[in-house]
Amino acid sequence: MTTKKKRTPHSQNDRWVVVAADSAVETPKKDDGDPTFIRLRNPSTDAASLYLLGSGDVQLYEVKAFNEDFHSWFIGQTVQRDGRLLYVTPMDPLYLLLPYLIKAGEEGKFQPVDQVVMDEDFPACTRLLSCTRSQASLHHVAEEKEVGSQKFQRYSQERTMEWLKKKAERTVKTLRKSNISVGEGVKSTTYVRVKQESETQEEDYLRYAHGLISEYISEELSKALLKHLQLPELSSPKEVEPPSKKRRLTDKPLEAGEDYTKFNSSDFSRKPPKKMSAAQKTLAKVDKTGMKSMSAFFSPKGKAEKK
Amino acid sequence: MDLGEFEADNSVSCRLASAIPAVCKTEDCCLGIDEAGRGPVLGPMVYGICFCPVAKKEALKDLKVADSKTLTEAQREDLFRKLDEAKSFVGWALQILSPNTISTSMLQRSKYNLNALSHDAAIGLVQFALDSGVQLKEVFVDTVGPAEKYQEKLSQRFPGVEVTVRPKADSLFPIVSAASICAKVARDHSVKDWNFPEDLGEVDADYGSGYPNDPKTKAWLLKELDPVFGYPQFVRFSWSTTQTLLDSKAVTVHWDDDEEDGEKAAARQNNTSMLSYFKTGSKTSAQQGNTHQTHRFFTERRLQSLATL
Repeated sequence: MTTKKKRTPHSQNDRWVVVAADSAVETPKKDDGDPTFIRLRNPSTDAASLYLLGSGDVQLYEVKAFNEDFHSWFIGQTVQRDGRLLYVTPMDPLYLLLPYLIKAGEEGKFQPVDQVVMDEDFPACTRLLSCTRSQASLHHVAEEKEVGSQKFQRYSQERTMEWLKKKAERTVKTLRKSNISVGEGVKSTTYVRVKQESETQEEDYLRYAHGLISEYISEELSKALLKHLQLPELSSPKEVEPPSKKRRLTDKPLEAGEDYTKFNSSDFSRKPPKKMSAAQKTLAKVDKTGMKSMSAFFSPKGKAEKK
Repeated sequence: MDLGEFEADNSVSCRLASAIPAVCKTEDCCLGIDEAGRGPVLGPMVYGICFCPVAKKEALKDLKVADSKTLTEAQREDLFRKLDEAKSFVGWALQILSPNTISTSMLQRSKYNLNALSHDAAIGLVQFALDSGVQLKEVFVDTVGPAEKYQEKLSQRFPGVEVTVRPKADSLFPIVSAASICAKVARDHSVKDWNFPEDLGEVDADYGSGYPNDPKTKAWLLKELDPVFGYPQFVRFSWSTTQTLLDSKAVTVHWDDDEEDGEKAAARQNNTSMLSYFKTGSKTSAQQGNTHQTHRFFTERRLQSLATL
């Protein structure tokens, strides 16, 4: 892995800290062209996301940013306000081609892929087809026919489900190997458990893997995959009806002990904190241990002495 | 006075001490505590103790030690030399709290205020004397904060030692005056030829007394401000003088324990109220349907997709 700083003059930020696979930043052979960042349709959100095509458009990479509040970089003799860390990691281009194949598949005809993969909003999507893996892996999600030298494809839900299932199984293996906590409930990654999580079941891993893959496919496909993996849908606790009220033990009319109605209005919201002056703020921060409280000076003398 | 040990690394707290006079280990002793450099925005704060056998109190008076504030620098130097010469019955020890120690203590996540820092330095020095075998019977301290509370704290900490905390103790008890001279001399020496550990090139050494109201100090602070780093470690960052200058002249830096202002506070106020979580209804589920929920693998690792660079 190498770290590389990129520059563009017209952006607000002219520098990023990037961790990328060596293959992503290799110098191009001959006139293959530089590795380039491109915007493509994210199959999961349907909105634009950033990807990177390696030199010669041979390999696709997705770009993710580690982004947390209150971070900045020191780079050489300079400071960079943007404390993000960009990751450029290899990605299967088939995920991005899939939505186009599905859309064309609605017509039920065999078509050549280059007629299918077209997008007014993201014209760069045609470049996905030059990735080495694209042409060779289309059969995972589509039926193919060859007429003469030309190939025609038609989307197949069955094949896609099998392909995604394999992906999920491979993800499970990786999850186990990398010791990722997949169980229910909130767990801290820094908390070291004494007992090994032997109770973590296959289903937890599979469900987690499904969740990860769902980041790369549409919501409909995600639901279909859930069925295909024979994972029961989780009933959300919100839909569970509240437990029925206890039966009254007396016949006397009941009255509330306290009146909570004033908090019951729907526009109840946190009141904005009162504005404090800068001096008051600093005062509030002071560690007051060992200091006398103001009121101590005004309390009757006898009482103070008794204490 | 040899400050070599402190000058070798002036970013931390450092203890310097004289040899312990043999009589102090056998006879009942009194001990004075005082400090120098509490107020300045520049340089270290020095805590000093001086001790001698109770029977030798008069001999100390003959040295004509007096409150360090009433003496000129030359007189203080002279008196310190005399104290050092009287090493057959007078011992001293110093705790030099570097400006960096003061800054980092007062500005850390759980605030450690200057009073607590001072008290702990004093306690540490008394403990040092006890550990060195000094037969302590009486301790005299110039007060920091309310005298009664401080006296109570020290008495509890050192049972069997009679503790007297008094404002202006440095002019009332010669042993406290002696301690104040040791502290003041050490402070003067360390400030006069401050070794800047930072790679700053030529630093203007004309910073005056170091007190916030000294015009020379003010001018120096204005001149030496670096927009990114602020100041060298010589400056106490926790002083309001420093913070006001940094707020107005340096680049804004946000820390995650800053009190929330502006955007953040506004976002917080837009939070859904607790009550909305108890409502059954379509509103919450509809909201979830629209927005894509990123898988927890990514949210836990603070990873986001990007739309643009």
